[in-house]
Amino acid sequence: MEFGHLISAFTPFNFLLALCGVVAGTVIGSIPGLTATMAVAVLVPITFSMEPASALILLGAIYTGAIYGGAYAAILLNTPGTPSAIATTFDGYPMAKKGDGDLAVAIACYASVVGGMVGALALLFIAPPLSSVALAFGPIEYFWLSVFGLSLIASLSTGNVVKGLVGGAFGMILSTVGVAEISADIRLTFGSQTLISGFGVVGALIGLYCIPVLIDLVATPDRHLKVENEVRSVRITEAGRIAWGSKFNLIRSSIIGTLVGILPGAGGSVAGLVAYSEAKRSAKPHQKFGEGEPDGIMATEASNNATVGGGFIPTLVLGIPGTPPDAVILGALLVQGVRTGPTLFESGGSIVYTFIYGLIIATILMLPTGLLIGRYAYQTIVTIPKAVLVPLVGFMTLIGTFAIRNSVSDVVIMIGLGVFGWLVGRFGFAASPIVLGLILGPIAEQGFVQSWTIGAATNNLSGIFFGRPISQAIVAFTILTLVYPLFTQWRSARAGKISGATDAE
Amino acid sequence: MLRRTILKTAAAMALAAATGTTAFAQTNGPVDYVIPFGPGGESDISARLQQPFFKEKFGQDLVISYKPGGGGAVGWASLNGLNSNGQTIMGVNLPHIIIKPAQKDVGFKTEELNTFYMFHYTPDAIVVKADSPYKTLKDLVDDAKANPGQVTMSGSGKASANHLAQIKFDKMTGGKTTYVPFKGTGASTTAMLGGQVKAQWGYSTVGAKQGDAVRMLAVAMEERHPLFPDVPTFKELGYEMVGGAYRGIALPNTASAETTKKWSDMIGEINNDPAFRQKMLDGGFALLDVDSAGMADFMKARTEEYLKDAREAGLIK
Amino acid sequence: MRSEGKTGSLLISAFFVFAGIVTLWDTQNYTDSDSQVFPQTVSIVLIVCATISLVMTLLKGEEDSGFGDGIWWRRALLIASLLIACFLMPYVGFLLSGIVAFAGGLIAAMHDRWSGKTGLIYGLSGLVVMSAFYALFRYVLLVPLP
Repeated sequence: MEFGHLISAFTPFNFLLALCGVVAGTVIGSIPGLTATMAVAVLVPITFSMEPASALILLGAIYTGAIYGGAYAAILLNTPGTPSAIATTFDGYPMAKKGDGDLAVAIACYASVVGGMVGALALLFIAPPLSSVALAFGPIEYFWLSVFGLSLIASLSTGNVVKGLVGGAFGMILSTVGVAEISADIRLTFGSQTLISGFGVVGALIGLYCIPVLIDLVATPDRHLKVENEVRSVRITEAGRIAWGSKFNLIRSSIIGTLVGILPGAGGSVAGLVAYSEAKRSAKPHQKFGEGEPDGIMATEASNNATVGGGFIPTLVLGIPGTPPDAVILGALLVQGVRTGPTLFESGGSIVYTFIYGLIIATILMLPTGLLIGRYAYQTIVTIPKAVLVPLVGFMTLIGTFAIRNSVSDVVIMIGLGVFGWLVGRFGFAASPIVLGLILGPIAEQGFVQSWTIGAATNNLSGIFFGRPISQAIVAFTILTLVYPLFTQWRSARAGKISGATDAE
Repeated sequence: MLRRTILKTAAAMALAAATGTTAFAQTNGPVDYVIPFGPGGESDISARLQQPFFKEKFGQDLVISYKPGGGGAVGWASLNGLNSNGQTIMGVNLPHIIIKPAQKDVGFKTEELNTFYMFHYTPDAIVVKADSPYKTLKDLVDDAKANPGQVTMSGSGKASANHLAQIKFDKMTGGKTTYVPFKGTGASTTAMLGGQVKAQWGYSTVGAKQGDAVRMLAVAMEERHPLFPDVPTFKELGYEMVGGAYRGIALPNTASAETTKKWSDMIGEINNDPAFRQKMLDGGFALLDVDSAGMADFMKARTEEYLKDAREAGLIK
Repeated sequence: MRSEGKTGSLLISAFFVFAGIVTLWDTQNYTDSDSQVFPQTVSIVLIVCATISLVMTLLKGEEDSGFGDGIWWRRALLIASLLIACFLMPYVGFLLSGIVAFAGGLIAAMHDRWSGKTGLIYGLSGLVVMSAFYALFRYVLLVPLP
């Protein structure tokens, strides 16, 4: 922890790189379809002519900015700009609809900075020991983690759990379409060449979340978001107060994000879902998650930005990328001649520490730039007439989906899914369980098949599935998440009976 | 003063134009280099290693983009529909482009791909954790014979180079190991390092990346890899195994013979750059120089070999 | 509106049951048992849950859902223009087909009175923003847009 590295990170050039990176990343991340992975991949060649540390700072800054930028579209358009921001839509969009979009954006910014800092500090101080988490997680742990994520369906689908389960199962079936990831079969394509590519998560997110919003927007003359005609510059302090009031949630979500970020098979979307689920479980009775609860946004945004620092832990310590953008950065490092892996922290120490300080600087810079860009983003979305907003967002869904794989058929699939999502959504089958199934399905399937293979080979199926301490802990948490709401319901119902208060419905 | 500046600028521009034209004779603007997988794999890393050399030699950017899906099939099925003016190229991998179309209709056929250069391969290798009880290949083979099926080995995907190697090797030794497929070499390495499996069917690149954390028991090369002088080849130990996953580059099959030849020469030039060779070797890759002229023979031999292995393994009918 | 909600829920539940059966049928053709286990399990879950949903909807008798009071031609126009843009894309290029989608969406979303001035301003501002994004994707992010 020499301060020399801090000083070398603080050269004006590196500072400028961090600033540019954060701004560019935020903008790119806010566009649905453009992911952090793509932003980083495009900019890798630029870094070849730089010092390795500067290159890393630029890439890290873009990455961290992009993860935060994903929140804008999630809050203002109900469309996660990056998959990490899925759970941000749950409460962000309801808040924006109520007229609190600017507050939601500011809260997301505070939460992202806190999460980013916790992740970066973990990377700075305890990376080598924490990296063992990546290795302790075997196939079975991933399987149970995905089951835990799926348990969120139950609490998400307010009103009709069965319909939520139907959506989740359907999402998982969608995830199997195409060439199987690890086995060698082609599934559910019915001979179609288009379906071989399967349903990509990013395209499905755009379709299932954004298209229904657009369809509903054109159908009625109502405004997109409610606005009150007053000066809103004071909301930054209001957001700060709310964030301070939820410091425990912020820290817990950041730790969850850091830990999930370390897992190479998970990533920001899973981190956000797990943190959201935990925040919801420990909610106070008056908090209504899913209807515009600031704590929901904070949990997701803190945890997904914490995955940035967390993801770098296995990347730098073990040479195993924690998240897809890390994989790109790892490739860039190799070209630069930097060997990651166990020896990096000793031999290449100066680069690593300069980079970590650079990441911390970028995270801090995210506060002013994020609040500023966020305000403009909010004002733009609110003031643009609906007649222009809808076709522009429509155009963005086209270009964003196309850019994922440069494929027109992906765009058609996206629109088709969107219409389907709108149709079933109108009858109580919400989009979020389908998306959860789509994201967690492959993790569940691979974890299950691998565990089964290993268990059957070693004649130890029950030991593999239920005998390992980490899996036992995850299973316990899953049961707790499922049972706890029933328990509180039962308790409050009993309390209601005792006090004699009657309540229609 | 001003005049001099203008003159200087003009001179610089003329120079740029002059150097530009030589480069433009090769390619016209940035080249789109499509990798039909996600980032971070061996295909991505070797392409990233080519990137700066291409820019240096031919003055144009090589823009790497990812088109993952269907184990590469999505990319390859789209290749022949792309612009054939030489501004778009795509990475191809063996045995994928041979095995996949032989299994089912995946939208492309092996012989329809206009592969113009095979530039490297990652030799198969058995990798174990540094503290594994398997000190030599013999330890592992003995265990596999004594406890059939109990030796779990991770690898990247099914019907892949790793999987074929595992089946072939089991047949040679008479032992029985259990193959556990993972999504990509990174995930299979993680499983091996975490002790989820006892060994890994990986590549020599795993040894280069993980250094002292792992031990390679053998590599499937004709001679030892310069980076690992202490790791024996399978051949030395009496197993006739040479091969791995081969990587090359293809153009759409509508590209002219001239364009194909030009590209073959360009990639050949990069492949002959000593600095590039050194970087590839440091990464654990093994270089290969099959240009467009020799491609037909190379592919024919490989196709026969892979299809034979896959048929014996029951992966295709 | 109540009966619409019930019919819709019934139809969609039936569709999901059907989707589960199709999946189950499709798994018969897989060569590798590893790729069968998961879809089979999930499709059974889907069939069971969707059947429960079907029965529950039948028993409950009423449901508070439906399409609401939206204007149908606007919804249809929006989706149609997006789809038309997709099919035009390979022939006329991205920007032109984008304009088609934009025009369709603009007409679909325009609830106020048209006037020459608003039409011009909206159209122009849309064109400027779209061109900017096209340029960003095409030349900065190097996405090979048609």
